[in-house]
Amino acid sequence: MEAIWLYQFRLIVIGDSTVGKSCLIRRFTEGRFAQVSDPTVGVDFFSRLVEIEPGKRIKLQIWDTAGQERFRSITRAYYRNSVGGLLLFDITNRRSFQNVHEWLEETKVHVQPYQIVFVLVGHKCDLDTQRQVTRHEAEKLAAAYGMKYIETSARDAINVEKAFTDLTRDIYELVKRGEITIQEGWEGVKSGFVPNVVHSSEEVVKSERRCLC
Amino acid sequence: MESLYYFFCLYANLKPQSLNNFYQKSLYKEFSFAFILPGDVLIMSDKDDSEIPVITEATSVLEGANCEPPENSESVDQSTETENKSEPIVSTRKRPESKPASDIETAEVFPVQESESKDVPQTGWGYWGSWGKSLLSSASATVATVGQGISNVIEKAETSLGIPSPSEMSPEAKYAAGETNAKDNENSFPMAGPFGVFSTISTAVQSTGKTVITGGLDALEFIGKKTMDVIAEGDPGFKRTKRLMNRNSTLSQVLREAKEKEELWTYNEVTMETDKKTHYGLLFDEFQGLSHLEALEMLSRESEIKVKSILSSLSGEELQTLKLELEQLKEAFSLAEFCDEEEEEKKGDEDFTKEITELFSQLHVSSKPEKLTRRAGGCCFLSPLVQARNTAHEWIITSLTKPLAEEEEGGKQLEAGTPEQLNKNSVEDIHAFAIRSLAELTACSIELFHKTAALVLHSQKQEVTAIERSRTLSQMTVALCNELSSLSKEFTTCLTTAGVKEKADVLNPLITAVFLEASNSASYIQDAFQLLLPVLEISLIENKTGSLRQELQVQTPLSEH
Repeated sequence: MEAIWLYQFRLIVIGDSTVGKSCLIRRFTEGRFAQVSDPTVGVDFFSRLVEIEPGKRIKLQIWDTAGQERFRSITRAYYRNSVGGLLLFDITNRRSFQNVHEWLEETKVHVQPYQIVFVLVGHKCDLDTQRQVTRHEAEKLAAAYGMKYIETSARDAINVEKAFTDLTRDIYELVKRGEITIQEGWEGVKSGFVPNVVHSSEEVVKSERRCLC
Repeated sequence: MESLYYFFCLYANLKPQSLNNFYQKSLYKEFSFAFILPGDVLIMSDKDDSEIPVITEATSVLEGANCEPPENSESVDQSTETENKSEPIVSTRKRPESKPASDIETAEVFPVQESESKDVPQTGWGYWGSWGKSLLSSASATVATVGQGISNVIEKAETSLGIPSPSEMSPEAKYAAGETNAKDNENSFPMAGPFGVFSTISTAVQSTGKTVITGGLDALEFIGKKTMDVIAEGDPGFKRTKRLMNRNSTLSQVLREAKEKEELWTYNEVTMETDKKTHYGLLFDEFQGLSHLEALEMLSRESEIKVKSILSSLSGEELQTLKLELEQLKEAFSLAEFCDEEEEEKKGDEDFTKEITELFSQLHVSSKPEKLTRRAGGCCFLSPLVQARNTAHEWIITSLTKPLAEEEEGGKQLEAGTPEQLNKNSVEDIHAFAIRSLAELTACSIELFHKTAALVLHSQKQEVTAIERSRTLSQMTVALCNELSSLSKEFTTCLTTAGVKEKADVLNPLITAVFLEASNSASYIQDAFQLLLPVLEISLIENKTGSLRQELQVQTPLSEH
C-alpha cells in the first residue's frame, strides 16, 4: 500500500461538464474505463504513485472536480491548494474548447498568491472522426498560455500515463529548482519520506549541478 | 506489540488536538493510558499474583485509592509519566458521576490499579460482550455532558482537568524532570489487558442517555483550548499538541499530520508488510477519508462565514425569528439515542442497507434516488459504503463459520501447523481486516456526508426543510455508529473464536485495537456530522429568502455547454 515517496503533489482536474475528467482519472488511478459514469458531485479524490526516476516516487493526490455549473463555487475553493492541474476539453465538443479561456481566467483569480502548472488536455481522441477541434489550434492556444498540450483517450488508454507523468515531471523540476517551494499552510506540495540514502545522493546531485556532458 | 503501542501513542498524542469536540477526543487520551499501565503491570507481574477484579469494581478501585501517593509506586519513572498525561482526562471521564473528582484522587489511583489488574489479561473476553455499545454511547455521553450547560462544563473542566492544586504541583514538577528518562523507556513498554479502558468506560456509560447539545461548537472549542492549555502546562509531553493547537488546526489537518507521522514512523520502524496493513490512519487516508473530511470542512467553514454575515446584516424581529429557527435546527442536530444492543443484533444484513438508503432518499438531495441501491458501478457515493459494509459482514460470517465447524469436530485442531489451520484466518488476519474495514466504512461515511453537504448547498429545489434533513442526518449518524459498533463486536467475536488458544498478551491488544478504532471511527463520523450544521443553516436561510442564492453566488458563472 503506502510506499515511500519524495513529494506529494496535489493536482486538480478541471474542465466543462462531460469532457471526461473522472474517466481520465479513473483510467490513470484504477486502470479501467467505466462506460457509464454519474456526474461528479462537488469533488472526488484519487491518488497514485508515479515513479519519475528510478527510485524516485511522487505521490499524486488528484482532486476531481465537478464540471457542472452548480458546483462551481465549491470547486473554485480547491484551486488554491493545488500545484498542478489538467485542464480538459473534449475534442468532439467545440464549446468545451472555447471555454478553456474562461477556465484559465477563473483559476488565475482564485489561485492567488500561488501558481498552478497547467497542462491542456484534448480528451476523447479516440473519437477522431467526430473531431471539432484541430490539434493545431489547440496547440496554439496552449502555447499562448504557456501550457503543454496533449491528446488523450481514457477509453483506449492513449497518453493517459503520459499526461500525468509529464506534468508531474515538470512540477518536480520546478520544485528542484526552487521555483516552487513547500509552504506551511499550503497543500500543493508536501515533502514525503525519503530513505536516508536517497537524501544524501540527492544532495550530491544538487551540488554537482547535473553535468550534462 | 511495540509497534502497536507506538501506534496508540501517536493517536493519543495527536488526536486530542481537535478543537471541535474536545470531550470526544479525550477518549483517546484515556485509551493511551490504559494501554500503558497494563504494560507496567506486565513488567512487574512476576512479583505476586493477586485477585482478579470484577469489572464493576473498577470504579470503586478508582475512588478508593486516594490514600496512596504516587511516590509509593514501584515504577515511578514509567508510570508517573503516563499518569501525568492521562490523569486530567481520566477525571473528565468521571465527570458524569455526581461525585466531584479531584486531581489527586485520580492521579494516585493507578498504582493500586496496577497491582489489582495484573491477572486480568489472562481471563477470557466474555465481559467484553456489551462493550462495543458502551464504547459508542460513551462518546455520546461526553457530548451529553456539555448539555448540562456551558458554564457548568467550563467550571468542571477547570476543576477536573485543570488547575493543579498546590499539593500536587511539586510531584508534577518532579515528573516533568524525569520525563526524558521516561521517554526513553516508552518504546519498550509492552501492552496488555484493557483493564484501564474498562474502568473508565464503565463509568462513562452510567450517564449515557439522550444527548442534547445545547452548547455550540464555539463553547466546546473554548473548553478545548482552555483544557489543552492547562494540560500542556502541566505536561511537557503535550508540547507538540499545544503547538498544533495554536495553529488553529482543523480535524482533518490534525489527522493528516498524525497520518504523516505514522507514515514516517512506519517507514522507519516497521519492516513487516503486515504491520503496515493495520494502521488505521494510513488506511483511512487510502480510502480518501482525510480528503473528504478536508473538503467537508471547507464547505462547513464557508457556510459558517455566510451564516455569520447574514445574521449580522439582519436586525430586529427578522433576526429573532431566524435565530429561533436556527436554534431549532441545532436541536435537530443532537443525536438520537443509540439503539439497544438486542435490537441492534436482531437486524439482518439487508436492514442496514435498507435503512441507510431510505434515510438518504429522505434527504431529497439526489435527483436519481433509484441509483443508490445499485451496488455495481461504484459511481454513486452511497454504494461504496454499502459495499464496504457488506464485504465486512460476509467476511465475518465466513470467518466465524469456519473455525466453529472445526471446533465441533475436534477442538484441538487450533494448534499451529495442522492442515485445517491453513484455511483459517489467523488472529492477525482478522485484526488487519477489521481495522481495514473500520477505516473504509468510516471513510465512506465521511464521503457520504461531504457529498450530502455539496448537494444540500447546490441542489436546485428543496423538497424537505432543513430541519427535516437535520433529523434524517442525525438518524444516519446513529445508524452508521451503530453499524460500526456491531461490526467491531462481530470482529472481536471472530478474534476470540479464532484466538482461543492464543496467549492473552497476543490476543488482547488486537481486540483492544479493534474497539479503539471503532471508537475513533464513531467520533470521526460524529464530528463530520457536526460539520454539516452550518451547511444546513445556510440551506434553511436560503429556503427562507429564496433569492439569497443569487446574492451569494457573486462570481461570474461559466457556461456549461
